[in-house]
Amino acid sequence: MAAAGGRAAWVAALSALLLAGCSARDRGWRTTDISGIMPPLKFTLTDSKTGGVVNAHDFRGKVVLLYFGYTHCPDVCPTTLADLAAALRELGARARDVRVLFVSVDPARDSAAVLKEYAAAFGPEVIGLRGDSEELHRLTRRYRVTYGYGRPDAHGDYEVSHSSAVYVFDTRGEVRLLARPTDRPADLAHDLGRLIAEG
Amino acid sequence: MRRRLILFLAAFAWLAAVPAGAASRVPVQVTEARIRWLPGDLPMAGYFVIRNTGERPLRLIGASSPAYRRIVLHRTVSYGRMKPAKSFEIAPGWSVQFTPGGNHLMLMGRTRAIHPGDVVPITLHFAGGGALRVKFRVRGADLR
Repeated sequence: MAAAGGRAAWVAALSALLLAGCSARDRGWRTTDISGIMPPLKFTLTDSKTGGVVNAHDFRGKVVLLYFGYTHCPDVCPTTLADLAAALRELGARARDVRVLFVSVDPARDSAAVLKEYAAAFGPEVIGLRGDSEELHRLTRRYRVTYGYGRPDAHGDYEVSHSSAVYVFDTRGEVRLLARPTDRPADLAHDLGRLIAEG
Repeated sequence: MRRRLILFLAAFAWLAAVPAGAASRVPVQVTEARIRWLPGDLPMAGYFVIRNTGERPLRLIGASSPAYRRIVLHRTVSYGRMKPAKSFEIAPGWSVQFTPGGNHLMLMGRTRAIHPGDVVPITLHFAGGGALRVKFRVRGADLR
């Protein structure tokens, strides 16, 4: 993947933010209600912690937060994950019914070992997932997530641009909410609490 | 083991030698200096607020530290879009914020083990040759 070098590999047509703007529904949710706008949770990826293959079915019964990023991102990804971790802390013991799936859009650099340590740094509910480029492509296309690789600098370091949205799925794997960087952790915690209570 | 201890002591002595009033030559005040720790050899981000307490405009042109091989200034273009920045202008009496999700120092290639709770010295460099050594506190990955 990284060999693609400077060539941007844009993978989707619609931005998540555009979609969110179309949703005028509000049933007391504090983040953005996107029920029915996107397909149910479905993926096959490798869990960086166990090394085993996991799919959406393994997370039935949990409220799932799906976020795409990469570990060499020193600011935006950790800031988002820190916000999600803060929301989970507000939930207290109820956080055990939530999983944060951090899917790497940079599998070339994000080895399972790096991804595992990175995810663990944000809490036990955070799971680092990676897949080959085909699996990643399938998943990002399903949720209209965009990402692209910047030109490597003199040191071989490169940036990966990616969507900042976090998708929230209920315990049955249906898409429900879109959390954005501007959403406060307290508001996300409120909505997650409601989804947990729905069962 | 012994080499590590010597390195540690050397680092400690060096840290202890940093005078609190090192700012006297560059008229700036730096507050909230902190680093978000990440595992392995992943790049970390440094955050702080810098205020120009002098009479003339200042230009921050870079940063260096014995703890990292390379430090790059990053400017926020829009949320989530970062761009390496050559410099930051700070007008007299004004502050520039380096905050999570915004401007930051990208700290790459740690030269030694760094853990949450550590204090890491970073020197800020200004146009005209001025420099200021600042102690950054290393915080957990979930720093906000």
